[in-house]
Amino acid sequence: MRRLSITAVTVLQAIADGYEYGFDIIDQTALPSGTVYPALSRLERDGLVRSAWEDEAAAHAEGRPARRYYRVTPPGVRALADAVAFYRALLPAPRPRATRKAARSTR
Amino acid sequence: MKRRFCDWWLRAVSSVVPHDARSDWLREWQAEIAFTAARSSRLGHDLPAGAVWRALGALPHAVWLRCDRWRFDMLAHDVKYAVRSLWKRPGFAAVTLLTLGLGIGANAAIFGAVRAVVLRPLPFPDPDSVVTLSTTTTTRPGLPGGSSSPPDFLDWRRDTRSFTEMAASFTEASAITGDGPAEQVPNARVTGGFFDVLGVRALYGRTLQVVDDPVNAENVAVLGYSLWVRRFSGRPDIVGTLATIDGVPRRIVGVMPRGFSYPLRAEIYLPLRFGEKDIIGQRGNQYLDVIGRLKPGVAFASAQSEMRTYARRLAEQYPRTNENRTVTLFGVRDALVGSVRAAMFFLLAAVGFLLLIVCVNVANLFLTRALGRQREFAVRAALGASRARLVRALLVESLIVGGAGGAVGLVLAVWLTAIMAGLDQGLGIPLLDQTRVDGSVVAFTAGVSLLTAILFGTLPALHASSKLDLARRIREGAITVTGDPHKQRLRSTMVVVETAIAVVLLVGAGLLARSFAGLASVPLGFATDNVQTFSVSFPPPKYPNSASRSMFVDTLLERAAQLPQTESAGAIFGLPLTDLSYSIAFASLDGRKLTREDPRRPMTQVRVVSPKYFSTMSIPLRRGRVFDAGDRSGTALAVVINDTAAAEIWPNADPIGHEFSLGTPLGLQGPIAGGRVVGVVGDVRDFGPVTTTKPTAYLSFAQFPMNYVTVVLKTRGAPANVVEPARALLKDLDPDLPMFEVRSMAQLSSNVVAQSRLYLLLLALFAGAAMLLAGIGIYGVLSHTVGQRTREIGIRLALGAAPGQVVGAVVAHASVLSLIGLVAGLVAAAGTGRFIQGLLFGVKPIDTMTYLVVASGLALVSFVASWIPARRASRIDPITALRHQ
Repeated sequence: MRRLSITAVTVLQAIADGYEYGFDIIDQTALPSGTVYPALSRLERDGLVRSAWEDEAAAHAEGRPARRYYRVTPPGVRALADAVAFYRALLPAPRPRATRKAARSTR
Repeated sequence: MKRRFCDWWLRAVSSVVPHDARSDWLREWQAEIAFTAARSSRLGHDLPAGAVWRALGALPHAVWLRCDRWRFDMLAHDVKYAVRSLWKRPGFAAVTLLTLGLGIGANAAIFGAVRAVVLRPLPFPDPDSVVTLSTTTTTRPGLPGGSSSPPDFLDWRRDTRSFTEMAASFTEASAITGDGPAEQVPNARVTGGFFDVLGVRALYGRTLQVVDDPVNAENVAVLGYSLWVRRFSGRPDIVGTLATIDGVPRRIVGVMPRGFSYPLRAEIYLPLRFGEKDIIGQRGNQYLDVIGRLKPGVAFASAQSEMRTYARRLAEQYPRTNENRTVTLFGVRDALVGSVRAAMFFLLAAVGFLLLIVCVNVANLFLTRALGRQREFAVRAALGASRARLVRALLVESLIVGGAGGAVGLVLAVWLTAIMAGLDQGLGIPLLDQTRVDGSVVAFTAGVSLLTAILFGTLPALHASSKLDLARRIREGAITVTGDPHKQRLRSTMVVVETAIAVVLLVGAGLLARSFAGLASVPLGFATDNVQTFSVSFPPPKYPNSASRSMFVDTLLERAAQLPQTESAGAIFGLPLTDLSYSIAFASLDGRKLTREDPRRPMTQVRVVSPKYFSTMSIPLRRGRVFDAGDRSGTALAVVINDTAAAEIWPNADPIGHEFSLGTPLGLQGPIAGGRVVGVVGDVRDFGPVTTTKPTAYLSFAQFPMNYVTVVLKTRGAPANVVEPARALLKDLDPDLPMFEVRSMAQLSSNVVAQSRLYLLLLALFAGAAMLLAGIGIYGVLSHTVGQRTREIGIRLALGAAPGQVVGAVVAHASVLSLIGLVAGLVAAAGTGRFIQGLLFGVKPIDTMTYLVVASGLALVSFVASWIPARRASRIDPITALRHQ
C-alpha cells in the first residue's frame, strides 16, 4: 500500500485521538472541509477507517439528525504507526548541545 | 437564511455524488450542519458563517467521490471494452486511425516548422535583448535588413548609450586552399564585439575580440562547427595553427560550438577591420549588418528613440548621404524571419482547419457507429448503466482512438519534419533546416490528439446515448419511417461545417494557385534554359591588379567557349536573381555636376559584364552596340544601359552618346565608374518577378575587373553536363581558385518562386484532402439517410413515385446542405481574405474567378457524393423495403 500523505496522517491521528465526527475532525486538524472529507472517503475506501451512524435516540434528544462517526480499523492503526515513524525519521536528529558549541568555537 | 442556503447547496452538489452513495452523503453533511446549528442556537446564535464556508467543501468531496468512482471502473473495464470493440471492427478502426493520423501528423509537422522558424529561442543567451539596427528610409522604416555604412556604425557605437555592446558584420565567401581541394565557404566578417553581443563563447580557443580589430593586428580566423568537422576532421589541436584563407595565411584562434550559425550559414569568421579609407568618404556605402545588445533595464522603445534622435543628428550633419535615413531596431528574430512569419502562421491555421474537418468526419463515423449500437446501449442501460456511464464508455473509445491517431501522427510528423528540414535552402525560409520533432512538438501532438478526441468523441457520445427509450430500442421494431429527425439534424450540421471549411481552404489554395501562375508567367528578360553559372573570386595577393584579373577572365571565357558542351560564355558581376543590389547615384550627367539638391538626380544599379554576356543570356540589344574587344583598360569608358534607364533618364531623347559619372571608383584600383552610353539592352528582372526593374548601367569587365565574377555558359544539352569540364578547366588555369555558387539559371529562377510554390503545394494538399473528406462526409450522411428512409422510399415507390423523383429528392436534400455550406464558406473566405493578402501576387483576396471555380467544384463533388446513394435509393424494391425493419 502507498504511504499515507501528511493530510491522511493528520486526519487519521485526529480520529485515533477520539475526534470521530467530520466537523470535529475539521476543528481539531484546522484543515479545510474540502480536504478533510475526501481524505475520510479515501481512508474508508482503503479500509483504514470504518464509519457508522450514531444512535438515533441520542441525536433525537438533542433535536437533530444522527451524525456519522469514524473509527480507525486495525490496519489503520498499523498504517498510522508506520507513517508516523516514517515522517519522524525525516526530522533532523536532535544534536547534542556540545557539538553545536564546538562548531561555533571553530568558526 | 444561511441554513437554507446550506440545505440548497448540499442538495445541488449531491447530484455529483455517485448514485449509490448519494443518500448517505447527503445525510452526513446535513447532520453536521444541523449539529452545528443546534449547538449555536443553544448559545442563542445564528448558524456561524464558518459553517457555510465548511458546507462549500462539500463540492470537492462530491467531485472526489465521482472521480474516484470513474477512475475505478474506467481503467478496469471501459478500456478493455473499448479495445475489444475496436478490434472487432478493424475497418472502422483503420480508417479512423489513418484519417486522424494524417490530420494530426500534418499539424505536428507544420507546428514543428513554425517552432523552428518562429518560436524556438535563438541559440544564444537572452536573445530578447539582442537587436539589429537597420538603416531605413524615413518613409518606410518598417522594412528590416537595411544595411549601414562603416562611419555611421562607428558613430553609433561611440555615441549611443542604450547598448552594452554593438557590432557590425557582413557576409561574403572565402577560398580555403592547401590541405585538400580548394573550397569556397560562406564567411562572416565581424567586428570585435560581435560574439559578446550574441553572448556566445568558443567551443575551443577564443572568439574574435576587440584586439583583432586594428588593421595591423595578426590575421586570424574562427571556424564554424560544420567547417571544422568537415575540413579539419574535428581536431581540437587545429587551434593555433595556420590555414591559407583567400591566399593569406591566417591563424585559427577558435572553433564555434555546434548549432551556432549567425549570420545564417556562415562557416568561418574573419575580423572586420576599418582602415582610414573605410571611414572617410564611405558614409554612403551601406553594407554592414549591425547588431547590439541592450543594456539591462533599457527598454526596446527607449533604445529605438535614442537611435532615431541620433539618426536625425547625423542627417543634419551629413545631408548628402544621410538625408531621409533613419535607424530602426528589430528583434534579431524579426530581422531573420520577418517576411515568412505570417506565412508560417497562415499554414498553421490552414492545417488546423484541415484537422477540424478530420474531427467532423471522424465524429460522423463515430456517430454512425454509435447509432448502430443503440440496441447494445439499451441493453446496457436496462442492466443498470447510467447515461453518464455510457457516455464515458464512448469517450474512452474516442480517447483511445485519438491517442492511437496521435501516435500515427507523430510517426508521420517525424518523417515530414525530416523532409522539411532537408528542403533546398534556396527556398529562403530561414531556420527551416532546424525543424525537428522535439519535446514541445510531442507535447503539441499530445495536446492536439486529446483535443481532437474530445471534439470528435463528445457530441456523438452525448447524442447516441440521449433519449434512451429502453423498451422501444430493445424491441427495435419501432417503426421509424424517416429516422430520428434530431439526429439527422446533427449530421446535416456536420456536413455544412465540413463543406464550409473545405471552401475556405479551397479558396485559399485557388488564390495561391492564381498568384503562382502570375509569378511564373512574368517574363524575366533572359533565357533560363540551358544556362549554367558558377562563380570565381580572385584573392588580392595573387591577383593584385586589374590586368591580371582581366587576363584571367578573358582566358577562362575563351577556353570555356571552346568546350564541346558550350555554345557561348560570358561573365557578370551581379548575376540576376542573386539579390545583389548595387545602387549608385549619378555624380554628373553630360559634364554637368549633379548635387544632392537636384530632385532629378538619377540612381542606377551597376553591373559589370564581359562582351558575350548579353548574347549568352539572350538579352536583346535594342539600340547601339554591346561591348567588344575594343572596350579595354585604357580606352574610353563605355556603358550599356537597360530600357528602364533609357526611359527614365533620357525620356525623350536617344541616350546613345550621352555621358555620365557615378563619382566613385569601382573595383580594386578601378577608375571612376561611368562612361559614354554606347548601347541599350532589354530589361532584366534582377530581383525576381515581384520587383519592378530598376535603371541599370552595365560596365565593361575589361575596364572594371572586379575581384569576384560569375561565369555564365550557354550549353548544348543539359547545363549540368558542363560543370565538370568547366571545373577541370578552372583547375588547369589556377588550381587554387575554387568554383562556387554552381547553379543553373533554371534553378535560380525556380528558387525565386520556390516559397510561393511550397505554400501553394501545401495548401493545395490540405485543400484537396479537405475536399475529399467533405465529399466522404456528404456521402456518408446521405447513405445513412437513405438507409434510414428505405421504408419511406419503398412506400413512395409502391404508391407510384418514379425513380427519378426519388433521386431528385435525395440529391435536393444534399444540395440544400452543400449550398448552405458553400455560402457560409464563401463568406468566411471573404472574411479571412486579408490574412492571405501578403502571400498573393497580382490577384485580390476576393477574386470572382477563384470563388466561382471553387463553388462549382464543390457543388460537383457534393453532387457526385449524393448521386451514388440516390441511385441506390431509386433501385429499392418496394416489397423488400416494406419488410425492412
